[in-house]
Amino acid sequence: MAEASSKRVLVVDDASLVRLYYRDALERAGYQVDEALNGLEALEKLHAAPADLLIVDVNMPQMDGFTFLKVLRRQALPVAAIPALVISTEAGAQDREAARQAGGNFYLVKPVSQETLVEYAAMFCGAAP
Amino acid sequence: MPLIRKGGDAPAPTGGDEPAGKLRSTSPDERWAAARALSGRPEALASLTAALATEQDPRVREALLTGLARIGTPQGAAAIVPLIRSDDASLRTGAIDALRVMPAAALAGPLDSLLSDPETDVRILACDLARALPAPQATRLLCGLLAREPEANVCAAAADVLAECGEPDALPALAACAERFVQVPFLVFALRVAGDRIRAQTPVQDG
Amino acid sequence: MADAQPVTEEELRRLSEFLYRRTGMIFTETKRYYVQRRITDRMEATGATSFASYFARLRSDAAGEVEQFINAFTVNETYFYREDHQLRCLTQDLLAERVERRPRDRAIRIWSVPCSTGEEPYSIALWLLENWAQVDAYDIEIVGSDIDTRALKAASEGVFGKRALMRLSPELIGRYFEELGDEQWRILDDIRGSVRFTAANLVETAETRPHGQFDVIFCRNVLIYFDDASRRVAAENLYENLAPGGFICLGHTESMSRISPLFEVRRFDDAIVYQRPRAAHG
Repeated sequence: MAEASSKRVLVVDDASLVRLYYRDALERAGYQVDEALNGLEALEKLHAAPADLLIVDVNMPQMDGFTFLKVLRRQALPVAAIPALVISTEAGAQDREAARQAGGNFYLVKPVSQETLVEYAAMFCGAAP
Repeated sequence: MPLIRKGGDAPAPTGGDEPAGKLRSTSPDERWAAARALSGRPEALASLTAALATEQDPRVREALLTGLARIGTPQGAAAIVPLIRSDDASLRTGAIDALRVMPAAALAGPLDSLLSDPETDVRILACDLARALPAPQATRLLCGLLAREPEANVCAAAADVLAECGEPDALPALAACAERFVQVPFLVFALRVAGDRIRAQTPVQDG
Repeated sequence: MADAQPVTEEELRRLSEFLYRRTGMIFTETKRYYVQRRITDRMEATGATSFASYFARLRSDAAGEVEQFINAFTVNETYFYREDHQLRCLTQDLLAERVERRPRDRAIRIWSVPCSTGEEPYSIALWLLENWAQVDAYDIEIVGSDIDTRALKAASEGVFGKRALMRLSPELIGRYFEELGDEQWRILDDIRGSVRFTAANLVETAETRPHGQFDVIFCRNVLIYFDDASRRVAAENLYENLAPGGFICLGHTESMSRISPLFEVRRFDDAIVYQRPRAAHG
């Protein structure tokens, strides 16, 4: 697996085992992983330290993933442009469309395997060759 | 010495005379004030519920949800529950957050049926509400779900809660579920971690 | 005798998540070592032999362990110029934004809640006098509120011991305090007269609402002790007590992200603060 040493991924999901599963895969692939339990916490985390990729769930307490992306995308800061991979349990066409409109760059339906996750992470934040 | 002085009371915003009517005001500030004035009052259940059905302002919505949650009864919970089926993700979030602050006794009834709801996403959200219940009750409800649940994502949501508050009698249900879903690596992982955590928290007799 | 083992990264994350969900406390990476230490302390104090058994105790809140943990983590001692990075933020960024396009005759209002025995609201007064160039240009009203009326009585007397003044330079002490002897100092009457003290419970709207709207609220280390329902009500009360565009500063381990979506997060050089949106609603 290629080293993605300095790349930072922020996983935004309220389910702790989902975050653990993603972290496990991403760290083994060489990414630095940070976590947030909801959209508001993610905004705070991004103010403190930016990321190269966001992995975002939809249904979360306090601020859902779509609202989070909408708020993020209208900030006049570099963090506004971070690519976001939305991974949700919602499989409907209107959910994909809502994710696109909110500013998600790609949409995957849960459950996602570690292999798939790492593949997409490499695609979006260009893991070092 | 610079100008620092003891000030008088600033004028307080007025609560309004008939809050139920003000819930339909065109001013969000007035609707907010009305929602807060009726907060937690059982006799306002119907007006708060009706207002919630049409309210578009997220902050007024918050206040209406708080108002219903503070009523603290199964009727209050029943007024919020339908919103977790909303197409609007932020409304679903608001509804779940409001239910989460309600007393466990008010949730027990609705939770039973939500965990058997025909919609997958409703069952997922319901699992998270079980986190607020006493551990034996949460364990019983979620193990019942694990035994019958056809969707991997719902089982994963149950595993997430059991990993935190599951009791040792959840272990067989976790193992059986893992066998059913052996082809879903994430779920197998989640069930294993949940089991490991429950085992680690179970006191082992020394000697 | 407890034989506490070191806590793993994953255990630390689990504990952090639990506390975040339960209390709204948040630990940044930089505080990791400090958190480790506190966990080890609490494990020793409770006789827990493993992280798992301590965590089970914390989760079930046996013997009020959640509050014990918060206490171990939150320095409940109050002293002048505590968390002065927020005071720096106040004079460098927050007030500048609050006085933009403001008529000179409209007072700036600052609320310290809970204010305990007065160190925080008096610190705000001293800090403004010392560090804010425009202090003479505006009327500034500082209100300190607390639920504890004995603390309020002490606050309005304005007498402090050595520990409360430990962060102040001798010059500052000389300028703003009179020495009473016996390692006691009284804050000057001018300062004492500039802070108004009131009783208020943050979850009682009838008690918070009469305080009116503020430009900046300091509300440190109290919401973490509330349950979810009370926190929600307190957040709505605080929202009402802020002028549109006004700011709220929480304690350094607290995050509004677990408490309420009513506010927007703002990052300044010295602090993360929360803001009531400027547009009335929406």
